[in-house]
Amino acid sequence: MGTFLRAVTDGVLEGGVYGLMAVGLTLIFGVLDIINIAQGIMVVLGAYLTYVLWTHLHIDQFVGLLITIPAMFILGVAVQYLFIRPLRGRERTSMSLLACYAVAIIIEGVLYQIFGSNYVSYTDYWTSPQATVEIGGYYLPYIYLFGFALAVLFVVLIYWMLYRTQFGRSIRATMQDHTAARLIGIDVNRVAALTFGIAVAVTAAGGMVYGTTTAFNPNTGYDLISRLLAIIVLGGMGSIGGALGAAVLMITVESLVDVYWNPQWSVVVFYAVLVLVLVFRPQGMFGRKEARAQ
Amino acid sequence: MKPAVLWRGGSLVALVAVAAAVPLLNNPLVTNVGVFVLMYVGSAVAWNIFSGFTGYISLGAAVFFGTGVYTTALLTEHLKLNGGAVFATYPLGGLAAAVIAVPFGLIALRVRRHTFVVVTIAFFFIFQLMAYDFSWTGGTLGILGPIVNWDPNTFYNPFYYTALIVAVGSAVLAWAIWGSRFGLQLRAIRDDEDRARGLGVKTMRVKLTAFVISAFPMGILGGLYFFLQGQALPEYAFNPFYDLTLALMSFLGGFGTLSGPIFGALLLEPYLGYAQYQVTNAYVAEVVLGALFLAVIIFLPRGILPTVGEKFTSWRVAWVRRSAGAQAAPAEPAGASPAADAVKTGAAGSGAPGGGSQR
Amino acid sequence: MRRPSARTALCAAFAIMAASAVAGCGGITATGSGNSGTLAGPTGKPITIGFSEPLTGAFQTDGEASLKGYQLWAADVNSHGGILGRPVKLVYLNNNSDPNTTTRTYTKLITQDHVDFVVGPFSTLLTKPAAQVAKQYHRAFVEGSGGGVSIYTLGYDNLFAVSAPVLDQLAPFANWVKSLTGPNRPKTAAYAMVSDPFADPPVQFAQGILQKAGITTVFNDANNAINGGAKPLSPAALTAAIKATAQQVAAKNPDVVLLGTVDVPSLATFINEFRALKFNPKMIIATSGPDQGQTFLSAVGNGNSTGIMVPDGWYGNFPDSLNHVMVQEYIAKYGGTAADINADVAESYSSGEVLADAITAVGLSQQKIITYLHSGVVLNTVQGLAQWGRGPGGVNLKSVNATSIFQWQNGGTRFVKVLPLGGDAVTIRPVKPAWVG
Repeated sequence: MGTFLRAVTDGVLEGGVYGLMAVGLTLIFGVLDIINIAQGIMVVLGAYLTYVLWTHLHIDQFVGLLITIPAMFILGVAVQYLFIRPLRGRERTSMSLLACYAVAIIIEGVLYQIFGSNYVSYTDYWTSPQATVEIGGYYLPYIYLFGFALAVLFVVLIYWMLYRTQFGRSIRATMQDHTAARLIGIDVNRVAALTFGIAVAVTAAGGMVYGTTTAFNPNTGYDLISRLLAIIVLGGMGSIGGALGAAVLMITVESLVDVYWNPQWSVVVFYAVLVLVLVFRPQGMFGRKEARAQ
Repeated sequence: MKPAVLWRGGSLVALVAVAAAVPLLNNPLVTNVGVFVLMYVGSAVAWNIFSGFTGYISLGAAVFFGTGVYTTALLTEHLKLNGGAVFATYPLGGLAAAVIAVPFGLIALRVRRHTFVVVTIAFFFIFQLMAYDFSWTGGTLGILGPIVNWDPNTFYNPFYYTALIVAVGSAVLAWAIWGSRFGLQLRAIRDDEDRARGLGVKTMRVKLTAFVISAFPMGILGGLYFFLQGQALPEYAFNPFYDLTLALMSFLGGFGTLSGPIFGALLLEPYLGYAQYQVTNAYVAEVVLGALFLAVIIFLPRGILPTVGEKFTSWRVAWVRRSAGAQAAPAEPAGASPAADAVKTGAAGSGAPGGGSQR
Repeated sequence: MRRPSARTALCAAFAIMAASAVAGCGGITATGSGNSGTLAGPTGKPITIGFSEPLTGAFQTDGEASLKGYQLWAADVNSHGGILGRPVKLVYLNNNSDPNTTTRTYTKLITQDHVDFVVGPFSTLLTKPAAQVAKQYHRAFVEGSGGGVSIYTLGYDNLFAVSAPVLDQLAPFANWVKSLTGPNRPKTAAYAMVSDPFADPPVQFAQGILQKAGITTVFNDANNAINGGAKPLSPAALTAAIKATAQQVAAKNPDVVLLGTVDVPSLATFINEFRALKFNPKMIIATSGPDQGQTFLSAVGNGNSTGIMVPDGWYGNFPDSLNHVMVQEYIAKYGGTAADINADVAESYSSGEVLADAITAVGLSQQKIITYLHSGVVLNTVQGLAQWGRGPGGVNLKSVNATSIFQWQNGGTRFVKVLPLGGDAVTIRPVKPAWVG
C-alpha cells in the first residue's frame, strides 16, 4: 500500500474514534450550552474501567462495554444532576466550566490514587501481533477496524435517536431554543440530564478503543480534552456531523504531516489548522454563522 | 466616607508592609514559598484584568509566562549575564510577552467566549511545542541558567522583592483600570457585549488593550521564574497548570473582582505547596481541591469574597438597624447600576474598588 | 455594601498571609520520618540522612523503588552496628516529581530538620535542584539516579555520582561492532531516537564510535528527533511520530538499528512497524524497553524478541558479594526474584554505601568528606567499584563497573548478559533472525 493511502487509512480510522469522543462533547454543548471539560478524563476513566474488567475478571473489552456504558451513563446523569443543574444566573456558563473542571480533577485524583502515574496498556488478544490483517503488504490491527466500526455504529445510533425518536425531537427542540422548548411542554431538565448521560456513556466506548490502541495514564485526559475541544470548535460547536468530519479531517492531516513533513510538527499543525480556520471562519468549518454567539 | 478611605488605605499599606517583612524571618523556605505565592498573586491579578473584567476566560496565559521565561533565558545565555544583571532583563520579558499578545489577541478575540477558551488552549499548545521543537530553545534539555553563590539564607530575597513589586504594581494597575472609563468599558463588554458595541464601545480595541496589558506582568514573572529555577524547560515554562491555577484562584476568591484573585492566590498557593510535600496523600489533596471547588460553586457561586462580603453586609446592616433604630441610614443602595448603564451615562469612576457592582 | 466588602477582603487577606507564613515555618512538618529498623545493635543519637523522592507524579514508580533502596541500605547498616556505632535514621519527603518542590524539600531538610547529610532523589531533572541546594549549604551530595548529561555539566565540586553516566551506555555495543570482521560486520547503520535526555546522548555517542570505525550512517534524526518521552506529547502523537520515523528507517534498509527509546511502548511501536514493513535488520539495540521482561515480550511477541539488545547498568545477578546480600534482603522483604528488582534500588543503595564508607573513614564533617572523596579513593558498591576525579566539567565518576549489554535469546525464554565479552557473559547472537509473524 502506498505511503499516502496508508497515512490516510490510519488517519480516518483513528479519526473515527476521536469523532466518537467529540460527538459527546458537542452534544452536551448543543443541548446544555456548556463545555464539559471533564470529557477527556472521562474517556480515560472508560479506558481504566475496561482495563479493570479485563485484568481482574477477564472480560473481553468489547463485551465489557455492556457494563461500562451503563456505568458511565449513570455517572453522567449524576454529574449533571448534582453539579450542573443547580447553577443559575448570568455566570452559569463560566461556573459550569469550573464545575466540570472540578469533577475532572476529582476523577483524576481518584485514578492516580488507585492506579498511580504509570502508563497502562492492555496485553490481550486485541493487542497481540496475531490480531492483524494484511492489506497491501502491511499489517493492520483488527482493533483499528473494529474500533472504527464501533464509532460509526454509535454515531448512527445517536443520529437515529435524534431524528427518529420522540426524545430526539425534544433534544433538537432544546438545542434550538430552550425557552420555546419549555413552553411547548418539554421537560428541559430531563432532556439535559439524559443528554449528559448519553454523551458521557459514549466515552466508555471511545475510551475502550483508545486504551486498546494507546498507552494511557490519568494525565492523558488533558491531551484528549485539548484535541476534542479543537475538533468540536473546528466542526462548529454543537454540530454532530461537523464534529465527526473535523475529527477525521484533523487526524488525517496529522497523519499526513507525520509522513510527508516531520512527525515533530504534526501536533503544531493540528492546532495551527484550527487557528487558521478560525481566522477566516470564526464559526468553524461546518457551523452556522453566529449560531451560538455566546 | 473619609474614615473608610483611610481605613482601607491604611490596611493596604499594612498588608504590603507585612508582606515586605516576610524575608526578615530569615527563613529561606518561607521566602521560597513566598516568592511563589507572590508570583501567583501578580499573575492572577494580571489575568483578572483581562479575563475577570471582560468575562473572556483565557487558558493561554502560560504563553505570556513562557515567553518571559525564554526571553530572559536566551538573553542571559547569549549575553552571558550573571547575578543581578539577569534582573535587568525582566522588563524585556514582559515586553516580549506584550508583543506576542498582539497577534495572539487579534486572532483569538475574533471569536466569542466559548470558542475563545479553546483558541487560547490551541495557542498554548503551539507555543509549548515550539519550545520543544526549535533548536534555539534547547529542546527537552532546555536552557541552563547562571549559577550564583549567594548566601543561602537570603538567596530568595531579591526574587521575593521583585515578585512583591510586580504583584503590588499589578494590583495598583488593576485598581486604576477598574475605576477608569476603560475599566467600565471592559465591564460593559462582560455584561453584554452587543449592547456595549451598540453604545459605541470599540470592543475589539478595548479587549485587545486589556489582553496586552495583562500579558506584561506575566512576562516579567516568567523571567523571574527562569532565574529562580536555574533552567528553562518547555514543560515548566509553558505549563498548563499555570493557566488552570490562575482561573481557579480567581474563581475561588471572586471572579472579576479586584481583591478576589489576590485572596484566591493567597489561599490556594500555600495549600498546593503544602499538599505536595505529603508523602501519602498528594492525590487525596487533589480530590480535596476538586471537592472544595464544587462546594464553592454550589454554596458560594460568586466566589468567597463577594458572597461572604454580602453576608457580612446584611448582618451589619441588621446590626446597625437594631442598635441605632430607624434613624440609621442604609449603608449603601444595594446593587449599583450595571456597568453598561454607567458607560451610557458617562459616569466613569463611580465603581470604586470593591464597589457595589463587583460580582 | 462597599465599605464592609473591602474590609472583609483585607481582613481575610491578613489572615491568609499569617496562615501561610505559619504553614511555611512549621506547618510543613516532616511527613515521612523513615522507618529504618533501629531495632538491632547501635544506640545513641542517630545520624540523620535526608532526601526527597517523587512518590507521586510522573516518576512515582521510580521514586518508590529509589526509596526502597535507601530503606534497604539503612536497615542493612543498622543491623550491622550502624555507622561509627550510631544508628542511621532516614528523613524523607515527597517532591511530587516537581523541581521546585525538590528545592523546597531539600531546603527544609537542611535548614529545619537539620539532617546530618543529604543524598540524591530519583531522576536527573530532580537531582539538579537538589544538588543546587546542597551546594549552597556546602553539603557533600552523593547521588545515584542523576545520570543525565546536565548533571555533569554543573561543575559542582560537592556532587558525587555513583552510577555510570547515561552517555556511555551503548559504548560496549559500539566497541564490539567495531571489532567484528567478515560477513557479520555491518556496513550501514541507522540512528533513530525520541527526544529525551536519557535516550539521545548514548545513541549519539555510539554513532561517533561507529562512524569512526567506517560504518556508514544511512539515517540519523538527531537534529529532529521525535518529540516525546517527557509529558507533552500524548502517547497517540508519539506513536504516530515513531511510526513515521520507522518507515523512513526501513526505507534505507540499514544493517544495524540503534534506537533511543524510553519505554516498552516506544520500542514496541518501532518493532511492530518494522515487522509490518517486513524490514529485518541484522542487529537492533534500544536504550530502553527490552529490559522490561514480560511486558516487552507481550508487546512484540516472544518469537520476535530474539536477538534484540539493551544496555543495563546494573542487574539483579550482578556478580558481587555486596550485591548478592542486597538482592537477598530485597527478596526477603518485598518478594519476587532478582530479575524483578529495579536498578533504581541499587542506585540509591550505592549512594548510601559511599556515604557510609566516607563517614566511617573521616567522620561527620562535610568538608572532610568532600576532600576524602576527591582524594582518589576507590569505594566498593553494589554497582561495582567507584572513584571520582576532576574532569573538565567538574567532578566525574572515573570508574565504575562497565555497563553491560543484555540480549534476548531462544524465542523470549532467555534474557542474558552478552557484552562485554568474557566473565559471566553468555555467547552473543550476532545476527538477529527474521521476524516470525
